[in-house]
Amino acid sequence: MSTDTTSTRSLVLEGQAPGRRRRATDIPLRRKPWTAERIAPYAMVLPVIVVLVVFRLYPLLLGINFSFTGDKELNGQFVGLGNYLTLLGDERFQASARNVLIVLLFVPIQVLVAGLLATFIFLKVPGHRFYRSVYFLPVVLSPIIIGAIFNIILAADGPLNQALGVVRIPGVDWLGLPGTALPTVLMVHIWATFGMALVIFLAGFATLDAELLDAARIDGANLRQQIVHVIIPGLSQTIQFVFVTTTIGMLTGLFGLLYTMTAGGPGAASYLPEFYIWKLIGEARPALASAASVFLLLIVLVIGLIQIRVLRRATKEI
Amino acid sequence: MRTERVTRWVIAVPMMVLAIATIYPMLYALNVSLKTRRDYVLDRLGITQTFNVQNFIDAWTQADMGRYFLNTIVITVVSVALLLVLSSMCGYALSHLTFRGSKIAFLVILSMMMIPFQVIMVPTIKVLSDIGLINTFPGLIAVYVAQFLPFTVYFMTAYYSGVPKELTEAGRVDGNGLFGVWWRIMVPVGRPALISMGILNALFVWNDILIALLIMQSPSNRTVMIGVSALRGQYPDNVPTYVAGVMLTVLPIVLVYLIFQRQITAGVTAGSTKG
Repeated sequence: MSTDTTSTRSLVLEGQAPGRRRRATDIPLRRKPWTAERIAPYAMVLPVIVVLVVFRLYPLLLGINFSFTGDKELNGQFVGLGNYLTLLGDERFQASARNVLIVLLFVPIQVLVAGLLATFIFLKVPGHRFYRSVYFLPVVLSPIIIGAIFNIILAADGPLNQALGVVRIPGVDWLGLPGTALPTVLMVHIWATFGMALVIFLAGFATLDAELLDAARIDGANLRQQIVHVIIPGLSQTIQFVFVTTTIGMLTGLFGLLYTMTAGGPGAASYLPEFYIWKLIGEARPALASAASVFLLLIVLVIGLIQIRVLRRATKEI
Repeated sequence: MRTERVTRWVIAVPMMVLAIATIYPMLYALNVSLKTRRDYVLDRLGITQTFNVQNFIDAWTQADMGRYFLNTIVITVVSVALLLVLSSMCGYALSHLTFRGSKIAFLVILSMMMIPFQVIMVPTIKVLSDIGLINTFPGLIAVYVAQFLPFTVYFMTAYYSGVPKELTEAGRVDGNGLFGVWWRIMVPVGRPALISMGILNALFVWNDILIALLIMQSPSNRTVMIGVSALRGQYPDNVPTYVAGVMLTVLPIVLVYLIFQRQITAGVTAGSTKG
């Protein structure tokens, strides 16, 4: 193995000569027999395709199909848009849909916080390396762990309220009130994941034209001017990417926190589509859950289409 | 220039506050896990007076955590191994071999990234039940592999497209078949990317709750994260022991993070900038 790697390395150096001639190894011209050579590429891709078709694509189609059939005694029967109509009248579904809008309001907060902090780290404030490591740490922790820790901290009789009491601010039952439950969970989510957006920003900064920034600095641009005129325009693609990943992260990554912190409550105050679907499965209503899944799919699809565009631009050419 | 240096120091202050806000909850939890139950009830904020390791022992033994750890380790190792083998092979074919349908295959794989697991929960249960894999290790592993495969393939394909063609052709001249080139050249060359994806996927699998909760229904098949969330019901009025159980699962992750920080960030930032 190790000899392989070294020979490989010297080959990289020698082999830089441009101009690709077509070689016999370049696979098919036309109408060649199916040799092992020609089958090999398919054999390499096929397992991935099979796994994805069986466990992603087929379930997706099956689920869309389910959404037009009934639950319980109507199991398997075609009910048209019945499930979708039921959803519209369902209080928990309405809460989920409303909460999606609240979630979207929190996206810019995360992007802004991460963007600002990344800028400061990029400009090398004292201790920038340390901050980078610390801010990213919660990203690798499971939502279950984070939820467990914050459950204790945010409890009505917990340390946060106790600490607030010391400075004579009345405590709040953060997770127990309809008005504060979801925003609190979202703030914890931001606490846990802004480090992710931060490192993505920093990767973007690394591609920034350093000379341009130096020139601006020599011309006497202050920090604010550097940010507005050099950094933000140079980072438009990264900012776009962070917006998309943050939005998808918030819409499909909150289950763990909701499960440990609020269980969707109080009432349905902190329901989100993913939690609602999971609840319906537990209540043995798979068809209705499928209809709710289609709703979630539509939301994510719109955001995902943007993501694909960004990702494809990032891969040079394939 | 001088004012800029001052500005930097001024900015460093809120950044320090934030860093403390990031670490504090974890240190607080560690502090609580070392208190006795009585201490916690009397004083929640203060630094622990005792070093009550018994909490950890209780959580480990009474809650069957050893078994959950073993389950999760097996599931994580197998899932990650499968992910790496499948994705590096597929990435090699997509980036270096010309064959009919390669573009479509790549697009199909990319588009699978857009399907969140939440959307296919119901039919996934159905599919697994139909083939008899519900509530089994292979069933859970298959779903994890399918879940993280699209991004891993994307990452490996992007990485391999930076490897010069001359390299693989030299391998061919040495008398290797295509699988030989993959195993003897692409796997060693792809090591940094494979390590990155290995760590990242291991974290995803280790930390997951939703998929495990849905597929593993019997208590003996629980993963660590299901076990931890069940701890709360087990110790409703004994917070320190509960938190000790939580901290047991934090430890391995923090260790992995300290060792592999660079590889992890390389993985999560893939695709964010032009290559």
